[in-house]
Amino acid sequence: MTSLVSARNVSKHYGDLRAVDDVSFDIVKGCITGLIGPNGAGKTTLLKAVLGLTDCQGSLSVLGLDPFRQRKELMQNICFIADVAVLPRWIRVKQLLDFVEGVHNHFSRKRAEELLARTKIPANAKVRQLSKGMVTQLHLSIITAIDAKLLVLDEPTLGLDIIFRKDFYSDLLGDYFDEGRTIIITTHQVEEIENLLTDVMFINDGRIVLDASMESLPSQYVELLASGEDADQARKLNPIFERDVFGKKVLTFEGISRNELSGLGELRTPDIADLFVAKVKGAAA
Amino acid sequence: MIRGQFALLQRELWEHRSLYVAPIVVALLLTLIALTGQVSVNGMDHVDIGIVGASNMPENARAAVMSGIMIGLSTTFVFAMCILTIFYALDSLYAERKDRSILFWRSIPSTDFETVLSKLLTAILVIPLISFALMIATHLAVLLITSVWVGVRGGSGLQLIWASAPFFDNWTATLTFVLALPLWLSPFIGWFLFVSAFTKRSPFLTAFLPLAVIPLLEKMLFDSAVFAEAVFVRSIKMPLFKDLETMERLFEEGEDFAMVGDAELSLLSLMDLGGFLSHPGLWSGLIVCGLFTAAAIYVRRYRDDS
Repeated sequence: MTSLVSARNVSKHYGDLRAVDDVSFDIVKGCITGLIGPNGAGKTTLLKAVLGLTDCQGSLSVLGLDPFRQRKELMQNICFIADVAVLPRWIRVKQLLDFVEGVHNHFSRKRAEELLARTKIPANAKVRQLSKGMVTQLHLSIITAIDAKLLVLDEPTLGLDIIFRKDFYSDLLGDYFDEGRTIIITTHQVEEIENLLTDVMFINDGRIVLDASMESLPSQYVELLASGEDADQARKLNPIFERDVFGKKVLTFEGISRNELSGLGELRTPDIADLFVAKVKGAAA
Repeated sequence: MIRGQFALLQRELWEHRSLYVAPIVVALLLTLIALTGQVSVNGMDHVDIGIVGASNMPENARAAVMSGIMIGLSTTFVFAMCILTIFYALDSLYAERKDRSILFWRSIPSTDFETVLSKLLTAILVIPLISFALMIATHLAVLLITSVWVGVRGGSGLQLIWASAPFFDNWTATLTFVLALPLWLSPFIGWFLFVSAFTKRSPFLTAFLPLAVIPLLEKMLFDSAVFAEAVFVRSIKMPLFKDLETMERLFEEGEDFAMVGDAELSLLSLMDLGGFLSHPGLWSGLIVCGLFTAAAIYVRRYRDDS
C-alpha cells in the first residue's frame, strides 16, 4: 500500500513547549484515520504541519512532497475543513465557486452545483447570511467537488446541532469518500465517527500513544466487567486501566488473549473513548 | 498562475467593494455639482462652467480652460485614490486575519507570494485604472452637461466644447500620471502592506505613528531631519513634470487661463517620462517597496496564527 503521509521523528516546539514531540507514523491511501486527543495534545499542530501551514523538525512527507516548502503543489491535492478555517463572511456562494474554479485545477463546478442544489443554500447568499451548519455544508460541497487525494478535517462539526452533524458524516461517506481518497479527522465527539474510521491514532502531550487499525483493536484490547474475587484475579494480569461502573469493575487489558480472561466476567471490546481514557490515564498512573 | 492571479485579483474587488464604490461616488458627486452649473476646480472655488461657452475666447485658451476643468475633476479622483489606497493596503492583509478566514485562503493552492502580489497589484494598478476609467466617465458627463448648457444659450456645444477639448493630450497625461503616482509612492504602499501583514491591532496607528515618532526622535537625538525630509519630499515632489511652475500657475486663484498666450497648452509636453523613469528616486523607492513586500510575504508565510 502506498503511504500518503509519512512522518519520521517529527517535532514542533514553541519555546519550551513541545507541541509535537518526536512523532513517527504512516497514513496509507484509502483509509479514514481518526486523530484523537485532549485539548492541547498537539492534534492541530500536527495537522498544520501536515498541511504545510507550519514548519517542523524531522522528516515529513505528504503525497511525496515537503508540505511546508511545496505547499502550493500540495494544496492541489489536499483539502481541509477546520473549525478555525472559516469561510470569509463577505463572500457570496457564487463568488466562492468562481474563486475555487479559478485557483483549483481539480475542481468540478458542475459537481459542486449539484451538491449545493440538494441543500437549502441559495446561490446568491452571502456566507454571513447562512447558519453555521449551512456554512459547513457549503464547505463540504466544495471540497467534495475537488478531486483531492487527502482530506483533513479538524473539528469539522464543532458547534453544529446533531442533525447537521449526522448529515455531515453521511454526506462525507456517501458523496466524498471512495477508495482513491484518504481522510484524517479529529473531533471531540469520538462516538460519532467511531463507526466510520478504519484507523485510529491517539495523541497525548505531543506523543502518539496508539496507532492501530480499527480491525486490530478487538484482538489487542479487551475490557472485562467483573466484581469481587474475579476482579482481584483479573488484576493479576496487569490491566492497563481500571474504572468503576455501577458497582462493578471494568478492567482494560492490552495484549491479553480473551481465553485467559474467560470465566472472570463479561468481555467486550472497549469503545474508542474508553480506550483513549485507559491508554492516557493508565500511562499516567 | 495567470488564471490563479486573476481569481485573486477578483477576490480583492469582491472583498473591498470600496475599490470601485468610492470612485463611483466621487464621479456621481462631481456630476451632480456640474449639474448645478458649477465645477469645483482645485484652487478655484466654483468656476462657472459657462465660461467655456464664451465665443470670443481664443481657441487655445478655451482648450486650456477645458483641460483645466478636466484636471480639476481628475485631481479630486487622485485625492480619493490616495486615501483609498492607504485604507485598502492597510486592510488587505489584516482583514483576513481579523475575520479568521486566513486559514481558508491558505487552504487553496496559491502561494503567499501570489496572494500578497495580488494585493500589491491591486494597490498600484487596479485602483488607478478604476479611478482613471471613472475620471473619463466624469469628464464626458461634465462636458455633456456643459455643452447642453451652452446649447441652451444658443451656442454650439459640439463646436465650442467637444471640438476644442484636448481629449488625447489630457487623457494620455492623466493616465501616465495615475500610473506613475503609485510607483513613486510605492515605498509607502509597501510599508502599509507590511504593517497590514504584521500588526496585531489598529494597522492605521501602527502605520502612521512611526512617521510621526521617528522624525521627533531624530530631531531630539541627532538634531537632523533626514527621515522627515525623505518622507516629505517623497510625498509631494514627484519628478514627472518638467515645469512645475506652469502647472501650479494653472491653479492659482485669479490666474487667467489665457496666460498661455498663443501657445497650445499641452500637459504631455510638460511631462518628462524619460526623466521620471530614469530618476534614481523612483528606483530606490521601488526597491524599498520590494523589501517591505517581501517582508509582508515572509510574515504571512511564517506566522503561526492559531
